[in-house]
Amino acid sequence: MTTETTASGKHFIHHHAAHCETGVTSALLRDQGIDISEPLIFGIGSGIFFGHLPFIKIVGLPITTFRSQPGSIFRKAGKRLGVKFVTKRFRNPQKGMEELRRVLREGNIVGLTVNIYWLSYFPRRFRFQFNGHNLIVLRETVTGFRISDPVLEHPVDCLTEDLERARFARGPLESHGFMYYLQRIPQTIDIREACIAGIKDTCNMMLKIPLPILGIRGMRYLAKKIKSNPQKLGFDEACRHLANIVRMQEEVGTGGAGFRFMYAAFLQEAADLFSSADLARISVEMTSIGDLWRNFAVVSARVIKQRGGLGDNIDKVSELMQECAAREEKLFKNLQDVVRKLKA
Amino acid sequence: MKVNEVPQDETFYEGVKRACYALDNEGKYIIIPSSGWSAEEVVNGLAVDELKNKLEETRMDVIKGLKSPLAYHMEQRQMTPEILAKTAGMFSFRVRRHFRPEIFAKLKPSVIKRYALALALTEQELKSVPDTIEER
Repeated sequence: MTTETTASGKHFIHHHAAHCETGVTSALLRDQGIDISEPLIFGIGSGIFFGHLPFIKIVGLPITTFRSQPGSIFRKAGKRLGVKFVTKRFRNPQKGMEELRRVLREGNIVGLTVNIYWLSYFPRRFRFQFNGHNLIVLRETVTGFRISDPVLEHPVDCLTEDLERARFARGPLESHGFMYYLQRIPQTIDIREACIAGIKDTCNMMLKIPLPILGIRGMRYLAKKIKSNPQKLGFDEACRHLANIVRMQEEVGTGGAGFRFMYAAFLQEAADLFSSADLARISVEMTSIGDLWRNFAVVSARVIKQRGGLGDNIDKVSELMQECAAREEKLFKNLQDVVRKLKA
Repeated sequence: MKVNEVPQDETFYEGVKRACYALDNEGKYIIIPSSGWSAEEVVNGLAVDELKNKLEETRMDVIKGLKSPLAYHMEQRQMTPEILAKTAGMFSFRVRRHFRPEIFAKLKPSVIKRYALALALTEQELKSVPDTIEER
């Protein structure tokens, strides 16, 4: 936690967060005096998910995702909490930067969606062409802007030209300088009702989508694919695919185990809110599923490093993912029963 | 994952720490900054090496006169022809065509300038490749 001053002279408390979108949304609300943590936003916005998209490829590798699509957590959480955001996109970068300055001068702090490659304050290997990173601009400085990037421990400075490039970078999912700030917060916020809506939506997404590549079915599909990949693609190529899955699980700001730990943290907070022993029990189970995902990553890394020595092999990796799928299916079915009984 | 199980391995974070959710002694979730995890390092290393090898291959191709420096600088910025085309404001087939050295050599200064802007390089840098690959 670090304290910073914003353009209007108010204090802003920077919290370190695991994920950019949830971190920014929670920080914008916290700044207005609504005490809402990152995991709560994650749960209310139905962030947890699974999907394997074999037809969308980055550097020749299919996408595996452990979260719902970028932007949806922010949108859903805002809707369910009844918070109104002003959102803007721009065709003209100059106008986009002017509008940012204007809104900052009015005393707001502003959330931006940017390309992470052009942000030079990140370590080199964190940077890749991805247009869905989120951060908060606190105020303008002499050379650029003061930024609260929730993924980092402390606020940082960013040059104007870097930020402009990052905001208006082109390519897949381009953000067109997307910026957002709070317009209105309702007098009372019903966090409990929002939690119920979030959990219900999550259960439906994990269990009910009638496509074999999304939710629990996606996990099973991918587990089978991991098993058959060595025959189809050769061992080295299969390892590349496996490595990419583990990267998506651990590397892209997930808080560990592909967001499973963050969701367990959400369930824990929800259990306190509702004083529900059932939710607390499910949170414990989610943690142990998270540990299983970590184990999946460890075994995968060993397979990749040693090329299948010491009794670890791709079959075992595939079995681990099947186990994750079976346990998550049970958990979300259980959660669905529990949430029906909860009252806002 | 418990607090004492949060990995603190020396990896590629360059001093930055990432937040991890872990259970404290009372079974409550808290955020623990982590300096990295060796399992993550393995898979990241694989991807980074792959990019590096490809980039070096392209650099050699440019020196041999098989590709234009544009191909190298695009890869160095981790772009694809589609991303570069959008950034520079032209069609991607045109960008691909400019990967041929003989065509690249005849480009008008205005087109070179657009590429230089898109890749955040000077026009001089764009026309040659460095002696060794630079990370970014």
